[in-house]
Amino acid sequence: MNWPYVISNAIVLACIYGTLAIGISITWSSLGLLNLAYGFIFALSGYGAWLTSQYVVAVTPDALRGAMILAGGVATGALGGVLVCALAFIPVHDKPNFTIRGMIATLAISLMGTQLLLWWFGPRSKSLPEIFGASKRSLFGLVLTADKIGNVIVSIAMLLIVLTWMRSSRRGLEIRAMMMNPHAASIVGIGVRRTSFYVMAITGGLAGLSAVLLSQTYYIQPFNGLTPMIKGVSIALCGGLGSVPGAVIAALLLGFNEAMTSVALGGQYVLMTQFLLIILIILVRPRGIAGLLDKAREA
Amino acid sequence: MLSPAPNTTTPTEGSEDDVRIWRNPLTAWGGAGAEPEVPTIPYKDPTEIWAETRKSGVPLLPVGRLRYYYKWPGHGEKLWSKLRYWPTRRRILHVRGEYNPKTLRREKTIVDKRPIWWALGLLALALAPFAFPASQLNTLLAAGAFFGIYAAINLCWMLVLGTASIFSLATYAVVGTAAFITTWLSISLGLPWWGLPIIGSAIGLVFGVVIAIPATRLDGFYYSLLTLGLNELCRVYFVQSKIFGSATGGLYGADTYVPKSWSPFDQSMLGYYAALMLMCGALLLYRMVDGRRLGRILRMAPEKREAFAEATGVDFRRARIQVFVVSSIALGFIGGFYAAHYRGVGFSIFSFDTVLLGLAMLVIGGIGRAEGAVVGTAVVVFLDKVLISWGPLRLFAIGIIMLLVVLYLRNGLFGIKQQFRAWRDKKKSERRSARAEKGGEMLPEEATETSNKDLVYWRRYDKIQRDYLKSLVSSELIEEHKSNPLGQHSEALERLLLYFRRQPLPDKYAIQVVQPFKAYRIVALSGHRGVPPRVVEDKLYPSQDEAYHGVFMRRVQDLLES
Amino acid sequence: MAEAREVLSVQGLSAGWGPLRVIHDLDLIVKAGERIGLVGLNGHGKTTLFYAIAGLTGWQRGSILLNGRQIGRTRSQGPGRYTHQIVRQGLALIPQGDEIFHGLTVEEHLDSGAFTPRAWKERATRKRRIYDVFPPLRKLSNTPVGRLSGGERRMVSIGRGLMAEASLFLVDEPSLGLAPKIGKGVLDALMSIELSDSAMVIAEQNIALLEGKVDRVIGMHVGKLKGGASAALMLNSNRDL
Repeated sequence: MNWPYVISNAIVLACIYGTLAIGISITWSSLGLLNLAYGFIFALSGYGAWLTSQYVVAVTPDALRGAMILAGGVATGALGGVLVCALAFIPVHDKPNFTIRGMIATLAISLMGTQLLLWWFGPRSKSLPEIFGASKRSLFGLVLTADKIGNVIVSIAMLLIVLTWMRSSRRGLEIRAMMMNPHAASIVGIGVRRTSFYVMAITGGLAGLSAVLLSQTYYIQPFNGLTPMIKGVSIALCGGLGSVPGAVIAALLLGFNEAMTSVALGGQYVLMTQFLLIILIILVRPRGIAGLLDKAREA
Repeated sequence: MLSPAPNTTTPTEGSEDDVRIWRNPLTAWGGAGAEPEVPTIPYKDPTEIWAETRKSGVPLLPVGRLRYYYKWPGHGEKLWSKLRYWPTRRRILHVRGEYNPKTLRREKTIVDKRPIWWALGLLALALAPFAFPASQLNTLLAAGAFFGIYAAINLCWMLVLGTASIFSLATYAVVGTAAFITTWLSISLGLPWWGLPIIGSAIGLVFGVVIAIPATRLDGFYYSLLTLGLNELCRVYFVQSKIFGSATGGLYGADTYVPKSWSPFDQSMLGYYAALMLMCGALLLYRMVDGRRLGRILRMAPEKREAFAEATGVDFRRARIQVFVVSSIALGFIGGFYAAHYRGVGFSIFSFDTVLLGLAMLVIGGIGRAEGAVVGTAVVVFLDKVLISWGPLRLFAIGIIMLLVVLYLRNGLFGIKQQFRAWRDKKKSERRSARAEKGGEMLPEEATETSNKDLVYWRRYDKIQRDYLKSLVSSELIEEHKSNPLGQHSEALERLLLYFRRQPLPDKYAIQVVQPFKAYRIVALSGHRGVPPRVVEDKLYPSQDEAYHGVFMRRVQDLLES
Repeated sequence: MAEAREVLSVQGLSAGWGPLRVIHDLDLIVKAGERIGLVGLNGHGKTTLFYAIAGLTGWQRGSILLNGRQIGRTRSQGPGRYTHQIVRQGLALIPQGDEIFHGLTVEEHLDSGAFTPRAWKERATRKRRIYDVFPPLRKLSNTPVGRLSGGERRMVSIGRGLMAEASLFLVDEPSLGLAPKIGKGVLDALMSIELSDSAMVIAEQNIALLEGKVDRVIGMHVGKLKGGASAALMLNSNRDL
């Protein structure tokens, strides 16, 4: 078996899934909202990036094109997150049965949103230009394409930026405080509604980023947000909803599993082994890998 | 030495002329210590403040609301309570009989009209094909069959979601798996159509047991996400596997119960009624599970009260798993029927949109009610299958309805009535309280939450009374009480004392004898047996009369402060 | 201090949770520079009064003026929806018990108390001041709060409240659950804080701890204030005899 190849693949996948899963995790733990409209945000930001590549890129210099497309995707994702927040979180967050109702509301948004995308852009898939170029580089006898390196660097950089921002800035402190103890957070003077917009914008941005990164290999379609969302959700679940380190570990584990499975057994068995792994982990640890840290909310 | 403070705030301020003399009738018999004449305040009409408070422009409506029931004439209660249906011992219709006390005639009331609505609705569904417009007959019949099958699925799902409160999203995975495997068996082994639902039930049983295992460990969202993943797993597996026809968008060619020799119209009619029968079967199952022992057990253990139910000996986990497995078997049966109805099954049954639409059906109708599942299914199927000309917009419309229902309704369409009543009662109560604000002690928010509305009025009455009594407090009365704490008093003082004596026991002042005839102390009763009174102040009163007066002064002060 | 500014003026405040009315038509005026002790037994509404001022009760009604601005409103649902705005207007609530963020370090915790823009800018100097008041925290500044002992947590929670640029500090049972000596230390620390233009209300069950340290003591009994609070106490002189 070509180990370096497997490991490099695993890392690339882990980066993308981790980006998705951390977004879901943060939303859940800070707002108590299970955002199942994530797939819609994903698809929406894919289209956002595509529109950017169609209309904006023509007037930008070559060197900035990739960055422009990325930025377009991230911005659309953030916008989508804010939209979901305004529609599904703000109206119900202080009403009874919020968790279930919020989840169903996000499902409804996902239904409407994908249909709107289908209606607006049509069923034909779109593809993005390669944003990292087509160069190849050889390292330790391993050929790495530019988009692999780009994927890893961009997603790790984005995650690091988000995590440092959350560690050091005032808004990040707000979000983390709300993740840990929402009641105490309101006593300190953190407004749930305002903070929820930041949270959703950030997680939407993360979804947008991973949408652009994944669309290097897949096409952009109204419904193609579903599989990434389910993968992201299951990784978040596996790592323990609400735990960033747990999500990272789970992303690495599942990325490795996916790369291993597709080499050893074949691509069609990926989901199966993945779910078996997830079910195993969850049966052993019902709150996920880092679920023991999840004290802030009763799920 | 006790000396009443100069009155500055009492209404009797400074009007010397108003001081009247009260003659003690007991002095004729030479009562000890009783003074024959005592200065007191003039008479005040207690009805004045009452009238003042009631002088509201808005009429004060009576509290509460009686439900309106139509009263049918004649007897009938006995007859209706005799009619029970097998296999339960339930009455068909709950009819209550009574005599009208005014007309002295026998009357009866239908307390629960739901059976009538159900009968009418099912009758309408049975007769509907004859009323369909000819131009759309085929579409409507196909939609009707679709509706029957999906309503059956949703009823089983409702058992899982509502009765067992397991948030499973793998319902369509069970149906689809059963349908695919039975279709495959029918094609490869030549299984007849009546065997498909039976085999399907067995598949449903196996599937149900397998996915019930994680349900014992996981709760809430963890389980729903897991089942969502399972659904996706099934989809990917069936789409990719070769034996299930990965190229054709589904697996078709199963044996069907519709005879090929019939005309297309008769075939559709048969399909419609068969699907309707399936729905009736699902309704019966729902009734059997939800309305009987299992349902009762699970109703004892709603969310977040599980620990309590467990403590009373309810094994709710077991009941939940039982319901789950039963509904999985039923779903497998429906899967087999699905295969026999459509001669096969498409991959779209596993798609996320199908799950979403199914959830939309449940949510729109209201989770936890059979009628919710059926009506929600009808609404969504109508939008989805009949208004095909709308294109993608129809799914958008379903999404909008779902979003609005989730955001504004607490429990779907069938919860509207209850929610509206609760809202109206809240508003009414608030308004009532606001009107009564002049004397009302209870706030709107509190009034709406108090179950005993008598309290609202009692508080108001108490406030009126205290307002009146406050106006009576004056230095004359205090002087009168001081000189003679016991015995007969002037009318104003007597009113005050009566009010004080009537107060409830908790925190009521009492006198404790520290040393007989030498030292007394004021305490406050706890009002609870076994809990000693607490000492109010350290001061010792040399005589009983002074202690009486001390208690009086404290009570007056509390009255004025309130 | 008749000419001092009124920091807080509560009038006709009623509040409660669901059907329960804990606070009954309460009036309270707190002036700048005052340090008030609020004494009452368990369950008589001290905490609810503080929560009502912060807008955290189930429902409430009545007028609450903080620095002359109305922060009270008639509200029957949504506890905590406006709390952050109230806090921004100069309220620091130091809650009872462990309302802390387990994963944040002491330093981040103190930062989180300073959410108003000005306090955020000055947070370094403010933190130094808190460390002067509670010296044990200086050593622990990078430890997650979840690992601290009860007394240290209380110090952190009080420190967090004091970080804010507030004109009214509401301290809820600072000595609850602490060893008497530590409780006294915490109270002494509270007393040592300079109130130039702000005021402080300390709720406490143990009146002995407050004796002689506060400007006035108000009793709280079944949702009402007793002594020193209501303006026109008639026949007040009788009580003293």
